[in-house]
Amino acid sequence: MTAEEWSALLLSFRVGVVAVLASLPFAIGIGYGLARWPFPGRWLIQGVIDLPLVLPPVVTGFLLLALLGPKGPVGDFLESWFGIRVAFTWKGAAVASAVVSFPLMVRAIRGTFQEIDPRLELAARSLGASPWMAFLTVTLPLAFRGVVAGSVLAFGRSIGEFGATIMLAGDIPGETRTIPLAIYSLGHRVGGIEQTWRLVTLSIALAIGALILGELIEARRNKRVLS
Amino acid sequence: MTTPVMSLFGPSGSGKTSILSMIAGFIQPERGHIRIGEHVVFDSEKRVSVPCEGRGIGVVFQDHLLFPHMNVESNLRYGARRQRETQAIDFPRVCDVLDLKRLLHRYPRNLSGGERQRVAIGRALLSSPRLLIMDEPLASLDGELKSRVLSYLERIVHEWDLPTVFVSHGQGDVRRLANWVVVIENGQVVARGTPEDALTHSRPLGWRNSMGPVNLLRIEKAVRRDDYWAATVGQDEIHLPNVDDSTIAPTFVQFSPADVILSRRDVRGLSTRNHLHGTIRQVAELPDRIFVAIDVGQIVWSEVTNDAAVELALQPGNAVTCMIKTQSLHLVR
Repeated sequence: MTAEEWSALLLSFRVGVVAVLASLPFAIGIGYGLARWPFPGRWLIQGVIDLPLVLPPVVTGFLLLALLGPKGPVGDFLESWFGIRVAFTWKGAAVASAVVSFPLMVRAIRGTFQEIDPRLELAARSLGASPWMAFLTVTLPLAFRGVVAGSVLAFGRSIGEFGATIMLAGDIPGETRTIPLAIYSLGHRVGGIEQTWRLVTLSIALAIGALILGELIEARRNKRVLS
Repeated sequence: MTTPVMSLFGPSGSGKTSILSMIAGFIQPERGHIRIGEHVVFDSEKRVSVPCEGRGIGVVFQDHLLFPHMNVESNLRYGARRQRETQAIDFPRVCDVLDLKRLLHRYPRNLSGGERQRVAIGRALLSSPRLLIMDEPLASLDGELKSRVLSYLERIVHEWDLPTVFVSHGQGDVRRLANWVVVIENGQVVARGTPEDALTHSRPLGWRNSMGPVNLLRIEKAVRRDDYWAATVGQDEIHLPNVDDSTIAPTFVQFSPADVILSRRDVRGLSTRNHLHGTIRQVAELPDRIFVAIDVGQIVWSEVTNDAAVELALQPGNAVTCMIKTQSLHLVR
């Protein structure tokens, strides 16, 4: 593999892992809230979260750029106050991936929370646990399957992200050129077809690897619980 | 002094479980106050509401609610781990009394209903609560199993002297376990007192869905006579059906009100062995039959026809003799 391909692979991996880890706490919080509290305006929050699922990724990317770009309100704030630049950096690729994969993660996690009897938390609290402890020791471990499934789905979606990434992060070799972006630019380069095939294979391997990892984590846990 | 064991008794939908939930802190009453001993846990006027984790109440849920991802031992220790003070109730003793040693490494999904019930009780006990509340602890059990769990409950109440409130709609369970009964209908207290009193005053309550009242007499001790067992009820002696060994005390004897014959005079020359002398406490008229409560030291219910009630002048205060065939008696352990 060439240095260019290695760089694309490592970047994709980093973007996927960061996108998943950074959005996981929010997905757990929102998934729990949506599953347990029938607050007014819930449909609106659900709708906003689900929007990237139905919008063309390029549109999502454009909106993110308008928000996080050097002249966007949030981007300007981050840059002038914290010196953090999101657009056209690998961080932008991670943000684009996180936003696009977020609805998948929330759906999987919300679904498992809905299946868990809320009274189990009352039982834990009657035994002296604070609401927070009851959540951490009872509900969250029981939602493990959904958290793993959501993370795997989100990781898979992240490493396949193209449209929103290219809008927000651009296609900068070594900085924001993830595997899908590399495939796109190599696929059009004369003599790039062999390299493209290697990246395509790598992409498939990465996706399958994520699925297998998810299965393994769950199988290991099931063995522990069922033995 | 005996440990206070109170039963909330009444038909389903009367609000028993809601009351338990308010005591436990799962739901907030609109107004009023809840006090456990000297500890005020809710007061709408003073705006006090202690969250459920601060109330120190052990709850046994009707469907147990064991944590499915923890084995029995972790379930049992969940509350114990969160106990700051030294433990009043210790782990080995609870396992002993509730027979849990064999189960410690199993998961809830691999337990039978009775086993789950015992783990749920043990888990609540090990949080060293100042009050134990149980929602229909016997509803999902029947026959042999029910009577086993009942004897476990009797044991824990005596062993740890733990004030207990439980919800039930079984008269037999209430009479056996409780020493105080509060009868609820439509969210209102309609009677309260000892099981004898409260269940007598609460006439058709709780009978609505069943055949009527149940006779359950507590037997303090059984004595072997020449060829039968005898036990004392009030001032009279009754003959028990044949029992196999001597380890039966204290036990209960159950029989139907329809098997109780009433007489205003003491009749001789009958084959009936059991004659209990008492005074009529109450006469409860249902459309098609009449139930008479007789105080013989404990309450015995007799079912009679309207004609008989008129002819014998069965009215509160009158002395009567209850006659019951030994074959009608069922021993309950």
